[in-house]
Amino acid sequence: MTAPGPAGGRGGEPAGAAAAPAPAGARPRRIRPSRFEVQIALALVLAAAVPLGAALWLASRLAAENLALGLNPRVVARLEATPALYGDLFQARKQLYAEQARALARALPRDAAAIPAFLEAAVRHTPRLRRIAVIDARGEVRAEAENPEPNPEGEWREAPARVPLGAGETLEAVFAVEARFFADLDDARELAEGMAGVEALRAEIQQSYVRAFALLLGAWAVAAGLAGWWLARRTTRRVSDLVRAVRELARGDLRVQVRVGPGGAADEVGQLARAFNTMVDEVRESRDRIVYLEKISGWQEVARRLAHEIKNPLTPILLAFQQLEAHHRERPAADPAFARLLADAGEIVREEIGTLQRLVDEFSGFAKLPEVRPEPADLGEFAEDFARTSPVEGAAVEVARAAGPCPVSLDRALMRRVLQNLVQNAVEAARPAPARVRLGVSRARDRAVLTVSDDGPGVPPELRERVFDPYFTTKAEGTGLGLAIAKKIVLQHGGDISAGAIPEGGSRFTLTFPQREAPPPPAS
Amino acid sequence: MTVRAAAGALPLALLGAAALALGGDAVPVEAGLEARDGRLVASLDLRPAFPDDLRKTFANGLTNVVALQVALLPEHGDAPSAVFGRVLEIRYDVWEERYVVTVRDAASPAGRQLTERSWAGLRRLLSDARDLDLGPAAAVATGSWVVQARVEVNPVSRELLERTREFIANPPSGVRGGAPSRSVLGAMASYLLHGSDGGDSRLFAARPFTAREVRTP
Ligand SMILES: Nc1ncnc2c1ncn2[C@@H]1O[C@H](COP(=O)(O)OP(=O)(O)OP(=O)(O)O)[C@@H](O)[C@H]1O
Ligand SMILES: [Mg+2]
Repeated sequence: MTAPGPAGGRGGEPAGAAAAPAPAGARPRRIRPSRFEVQIALALVLAAAVPLGAALWLASRLAAENLALGLNPRVVARLEATPALYGDLFQARKQLYAEQARALARALPRDAAAIPAFLEAAVRHTPRLRRIAVIDARGEVRAEAENPEPNPEGEWREAPARVPLGAGETLEAVFAVEARFFADLDDARELAEGMAGVEALRAEIQQSYVRAFALLLGAWAVAAGLAGWWLARRTTRRVSDLVRAVRELARGDLRVQVRVGPGGAADEVGQLARAFNTMVDEVRESRDRIVYLEKISGWQEVARRLAHEIKNPLTPILLAFQQLEAHHRERPAADPAFARLLADAGEIVREEIGTLQRLVDEFSGFAKLPEVRPEPADLGEFAEDFARTSPVEGAAVEVARAAGPCPVSLDRALMRRVLQNLVQNAVEAARPAPARVRLGVSRARDRAVLTVSDDGPGVPPELRERVFDPYFTTKAEGTGLGLAIAKKIVLQHGGDISAGAIPEGGSRFTLTFPQREAPPPPAS
Repeated sequence: MTVRAAAGALPLALLGAAALALGGDAVPVEAGLEARDGRLVASLDLRPAFPDDLRKTFANGLTNVVALQVALLPEHGDAPSAVFGRVLEIRYDVWEERYVVTVRDAASPAGRQLTERSWAGLRRLLSDARDLDLGPAAAVATGSWVVQARVEVNPVSRELLERTREFIANPPSGVRGGAPSRSVLGAMASYLLHGSDGGDSRLFAARPFTAREVRTP
């Protein structure tokens, strides 16, 4: 039956289509930034611009104040005044020396013979006097004395003072000026010149600092903006993926999935993506369930009509034939061949009517599947009950239960029928050998799982979806209703059934049911 | 070598090529023009450039620099046909009590030294700008010409700029006696540091002349 409604064709979708549900994230990346990205980038820029502006203003203040501190105009002025101070010092020294020379000239003895001794004494007693001489009009030295001791103040420079003595004679006194004065003066001058130069460039230096600071800040802001954009993009891209996936979902694509990146899997966007994927999965599953159940009920209606249409003529056919036979018994014909023909035909008619009768029974059994009335039960106990009390001919059924309870809601009678169909199929698949069927009960997260596996040839992979279609069978005598009935019942339990294989090659049917309530949490 | 002393070492041509702003605010000065060995040689009386209040500056014992740029321009036009540069460093020696002047120009790139005892003498020496070589005399054979002079006292020299750059790129570290440290901000600031156009600079111009007014020996 093909029922391609708007939601049709989903449940029985070929396996190939399910192989690649393109995740929304795998679409070609768009370079154009999303609105969200633009908003975040704008916020970043705004958030950066205000403190940067303030920082720039502060920097200019700082540069100005620093320069003012380092370039105190009073310091510069003091430094520039230093050479003049030395000038004053030199003046004072020169005056002092001139005064001392004049005093010595006044005390110079008249007696020429006493002069050398006087000069010796003067050199010894006058501080900083290094040499003294009396020079005549012709420039010849008449008497002189020199201090042999080293100058107590270290290196020195000559500071001569001359006093005319009359008659063309001169008293020449050479005093010592500390050489370090000149070194200090040079030093101070260099420093003052440097300071004056920097002072002249003060405004430019401040400006250059502000410019440099602005440049560094700008570079910093660009780097921060890029980093922020990169970080934001990681999030916004995932949000955009989600938006796209939701749009696709709205368009009716229930296979859409959002990529949950490995990096941001733990954050809210990752959680949202995961929740979205789960939601889409659940929606798809329940829709598949509804579609299948609709399809099955369509087939059930067909089966009901068919059973009715076939069943009605069967009795008149049989009655008519029986009348024919009765008539022949009363007046047996002379023709023995006719008698044999009638006997053969009677056999055929009865057999075929019997077959049709069985078919009608199966059809109406399928058509009148009772409503599911689930009751609380334990899946493991149910499986063990089944193995114990419902022996299927030619099958050895064993149960493997996971430890602990497995509470579910079951309609025991209908579920028993499901298991009977599955075990019957296993028996038929293993024929002529006896079938070995294993029932496995376990829990997987919030689901209870029942597996039915056998050691037969298994279901070929390409048929694993189709075996659940009504009237699909590979057997000469089969109706193809066993698995359809099983699936309908399982779906009505809120569960699901799928065909698979065990590693050894036998088939494995997996039935999942919602757990009635979460098992008590394991003691930690 | 001190900062200002070094200022004299910069290429005179560069100094001379500095823009000579033309304008009506040039102070008129007297000029003498002479053709000597085929060259036009000017002398200027720059007394208005050195007023008495410069005395304190020049006597401060620091090296003071006077940069003199002289240009020969056509009367109507602003492209100088010849430029002459001269740098004078003046330092008052407080021990010897006299001005020591070092003059550098194309004729004596290494500098020649003069000494002067008094401010009046120094002022005369500075004002009397002679031997200003303004190129071949034949250049002024036709038309009327103007001699302009720019006098800058203690200009911001390229050398000073360099020294200041070096100074802010490697600021003395805060630690006492520590070596200067390289600073990123300072290095950038030094890179972005430009000289100022400002400074004490004045423009002088002699009245226009023609070839007939050029004396020949
Ligand atoms: N355990 C199994 N091993 C191998 N093939 C199986 C097994 N169970 C079912 N099949 C395949 O699935 C088909 C459909 O099974 P289903 O029970 O619906 O119908 P049927 O067994 O053919 O007929 P019916 O159950 O009405 O007698 C089977 O014809 C068979 O090909
Ligand atoms: Mg079957």
